[in-house]
Amino acid sequence: MSLPNDPLFDPVGIVVWAIDVGIYDVMYSAWGWPVVELVHFTGLCLLMGAVGMFDLRMLGFVRGLSLPALHRLVPFGVLGFALSAGSGFMFVVSAPDQYLYNPAWQVKMGLLALAGLNMGLFYLTTSRRLKLLGPDDAPPLAARLFAGASLTCWLGVIAAGRVITAFRPPSWFWCAWCG
Amino acid sequence: MIDALAWIEQTRLSVFVREDFYAYFVLLIFHAWGMAFLVGGGIAIALRVLGVASGTRLERFAGFIPFMWLGAALAIVSGLGLLAGYPAKALTNWIFALKFACLIGAALLVRRLRREAFPLATRGEALPASARWTAAGSLALWIGGVACGKLLLYTNHLLFASDEWMP
Repeated sequence: MSLPNDPLFDPVGIVVWAIDVGIYDVMYSAWGWPVVELVHFTGLCLLMGAVGMFDLRMLGFVRGLSLPALHRLVPFGVLGFALSAGSGFMFVVSAPDQYLYNPAWQVKMGLLALAGLNMGLFYLTTSRRLKLLGPDDAPPLAARLFAGASLTCWLGVIAAGRVITAFRPPSWFWCAWCG
Repeated sequence: MIDALAWIEQTRLSVFVREDFYAYFVLLIFHAWGMAFLVGGGIAIALRVLGVASGTRLERFAGFIPFMWLGAALAIVSGLGLLAGYPAKALTNWIFALKFACLIGAALLVRRLRREAFPLATRGEALPASARWTAAGSLALWIGGVACGKLLLYTNHLLFASDEWMP
């Protein structure tokens, strides 16, 4: 596969960097890729167990749980995200051409950005109002909308991640920014 | 057993799952979503019993169990579809059995928590140390089950019953 004229990313340079820092050797050792995948999926499990379940409660399900108290789960979601993001970074720098120009990976990154934006807006505009809610109170509409968007984004991230294999370059190739 | 697996590989469902561009990946997506709700709910319950979010009422975490059932149903139906596509790949690999052992074990531990720890919490009584061990065990088994599912990709030695797969 000939590499595209990419003004943003340099796949060869990225791989050279991954070789220099040792990530490439780890990934292509006998059990490197499977072990890093296990870390990636353990992170996703923690993310769903914390953020996914918090979203379900904020959508209005599972009444009787105090939202401020349940929020203590969220740091485990952050830990899960850190594990997934770190392992995901190792995948990408070890085979950048297979990810950067892969439609499913691009959709996954877009959904991740939306999830992050949604979370930022939630904490800026709505989270303080939840501190006054009792365990059996229904969350306000804005909180439900943020929770619905969050859960949709995370389920989309999972779906797009599962089909990255199906949309690998060179059979599939997306690069809107390439010359 | 190999003959039975070879027969399954010739069924219309099996051929469809393998040869249709969307079928296999749609099943994979539903399987992942199902596992996300099943394991996510299990992890939330385990973390709560282990003391995280202790300001919440433990027995109310039973409200996540219907979502775990929904996830289990999605994962089982889609998993059967995936199994129909490549029966020899999974059924000749002991990691596949280990995946089920982990997930069934985790589910049984959640049932134990629901039957023993949740009523104590309802009465306002302190949980025994054994409840924490049960929760820690379920947490390890949920993650172990997911890990085994991923390892299937790397540990199968036979793709089709009719011929040996050369990696």
